[in-house]
Amino acid sequence: MSLAIVDAREWQNLLDLRTGKKTQDERSQTLMLRSILKRHPYPGDVDILSNRWVTDTALDLIDAYEPQLACVVYAHQYFAGRYTPMAEEQRKTMIEDVFSEIGRLTEKSGFTPVIVGSGDMVELAGEIDLSKVDGIAISSHWSARYAGLHRASARDLDYVTSNSAIERVVRRDEWISLFPGTSYQAERIPEYLLVAREGWTFVTTGTPIRKCLRIPGESFRIPISTTLGEAASITEIRALIHAHITKQKIALIIVEGLGVRDFLMPHVPCVNKVDWHYYEPGDGLYLTISTGAHQVFAHPSGYEYHDENDAKREYPFSGYFLDIPQHALASDFPGKSIAVGNHSMFVHTIFGADICMECFARNLYNQGCLGVIHRFK
Amino acid sequence: MQCSFCEWRCELSADSHGVCRMYYVDREEIRERFPNRWSYAVSRVESLPFYHAYPGSRSLTIGTTGCNFKCRYCSNAYIALQDPDTLKEHIYSMTPEELVGMAQKLNCHNIVFNVNEPTVSLPALLKLREIAQKAGLPMGCLTNGYGTEESTELLASIFDFINVGLKGFTSKFYREYIGVKKADPILRNIRRLAGIRHVEVTTPVIQDVNDCELDEIAKFLASIDPEIPWHIFRLLPEYEMKGAEYPSIELISLALESARKKLRYVYFHNFVGSDWVNTACPGCGMEVIERLSLGCGGDKLDYFHCQDNQCPKCGNGIKMYGGYVPPLKERMGTA
Repeated sequence: MSLAIVDAREWQNLLDLRTGKKTQDERSQTLMLRSILKRHPYPGDVDILSNRWVTDTALDLIDAYEPQLACVVYAHQYFAGRYTPMAEEQRKTMIEDVFSEIGRLTEKSGFTPVIVGSGDMVELAGEIDLSKVDGIAISSHWSARYAGLHRASARDLDYVTSNSAIERVVRRDEWISLFPGTSYQAERIPEYLLVAREGWTFVTTGTPIRKCLRIPGESFRIPISTTLGEAASITEIRALIHAHITKQKIALIIVEGLGVRDFLMPHVPCVNKVDWHYYEPGDGLYLTISTGAHQVFAHPSGYEYHDENDAKREYPFSGYFLDIPQHALASDFPGKSIAVGNHSMFVHTIFGADICMECFARNLYNQGCLGVIHRFK
Repeated sequence: MQCSFCEWRCELSADSHGVCRMYYVDREEIRERFPNRWSYAVSRVESLPFYHAYPGSRSLTIGTTGCNFKCRYCSNAYIALQDPDTLKEHIYSMTPEELVGMAQKLNCHNIVFNVNEPTVSLPALLKLREIAQKAGLPMGCLTNGYGTEESTELLASIFDFINVGLKGFTSKFYREYIGVKKADPILRNIRRLAGIRHVEVTTPVIQDVNDCELDEIAKFLASIDPEIPWHIFRLLPEYEMKGAEYPSIELISLALESARKKLRYVYFHNFVGSDWVNTACPGCGMEVIERLSLGCGGDKLDYFHCQDNQCPKCGNGIKMYGGYVPPLKERMGTA
């Protein structure tokens, strides 16, 4: 059973992660995580101290648990860049800050880093309003480039194919042919996947009301920086880590909102695409890195997520994740592992680490932190 | 010309748009500046929150822009407190027919106005009501209750179930934290609405500011109807109060012990993992409705044990507007 400790600041509750029901546990690992959660209240996604919280928390957890593998996510610059107006100088300082935090983490922990940028951000060029289609258009989970079109009429197809801000309209079968998927996954894929031109984003059911200023840009290649060796594609990062993890302590560090253009460390470009499809900074990218296999259909772009949201389901505190992914980077590693980050929901689901700690925030509202213990070692 | 939609009773003209900045005068008539501009999303009714209306149902949540309050802790300031003129391009232009069509396409059971204050868009909501009613979609709303007596009647004619935000009990609190002169109109309107519509009440708690008023609020609500469901929200300070301390869950929970003796349905939430979101039967104490508090992810129905809105153990009636609405997949037999 995976345990979840929700920390709403000065108040904690211990739950069964799968059922969401209250439970009891007094083992030392649980007490240790409770204590670390208490020591590190989350400042908020767009707070300037957000990335410092990641480093401080990760170092504390490394000190207490002594893992061999750490998965760390820095996402402040992605959230702040998306919504906060800022001058170029301010943005540069923000980017320098995240690299300074990475430096602090690797220096103090002694871990060998594998640093991956999730892709550059660009200024919003415009919005593609799909509220008037006869079918249903859905852009799920903060996606900028992709939207799903369900039950489209001929008029809808005329509209989307003639819209100059839409780069591509992809039929379901065309999309599936790019990636292997199960029949259940295929059912959830929209009839048409709409692909926006760089700088454009969709406005549909599921789009947050908050106005974006910058959105993820073209990211066919993303930067990777490591001394461990070469990973030509994001599917090779897992094997690279597994090949070296028995010999040295390794930290996989994902830096959101930064691509080859803004990455301040020496790096090589790493392929982040299959044909026309590249991963946005979302669960697909994370899952592909973690499992070493392409993962487009776990939560396919533009799927009707609301049908799953109100149904009776497991893992209620795991956002739109209906289960904990198998064969993740850390769950397939027998040694000790941790995951820490300020991209809520992803940290405890994607990496499969023994102990995970993340912010509990949704749509930038800060509710505290979530600690998860997947296994006791 | 004096506006009669809310108790500000602003003087409006062609160029003077009142506190909410949503109305103007044209040919001796008060008109909306941005009619049929909406935001919409899909939500669970428990998230809004309504715990005693159509449990388990899916709602199309809608909003416009503008507000007649200026809460120092507003969590939707980026839409409710911005100049509506600057936001009009960022929300959808939709006719009432299109909005109702959207609710139907998304398999929503009802429509709930919840982003900002409905009093600032009453004429458009009245038109929406006509179309929604024809389509068989009930409507609910969240309101701050600051409408005039006449607009409160209008509000009640539009919405079947209403959650009134009673943010404090004293005029002093309302002056200092909400920016309006008196609490009295809100108390008056709660009393009126509770007599003619399904009403739930929500009070955001700010520690050391309005937590001392909780007992008075409970007494007031109990004097109207001890079955009014009362939601106490742990305030997550935003806007001008961002950075303020989060209220202590332990202390607030203790303070609510007395309220629970006066009111049958008292809930304490708006924080993840709350232990105070289930409904206990007032007759025998059995937990008849179980919910999950997902924090800002919204609340969620977990188990509904009281078919026909009755306690399965003692048969006591559980206050409920409408019945349980199973999830779509269950209704379609694909769960």
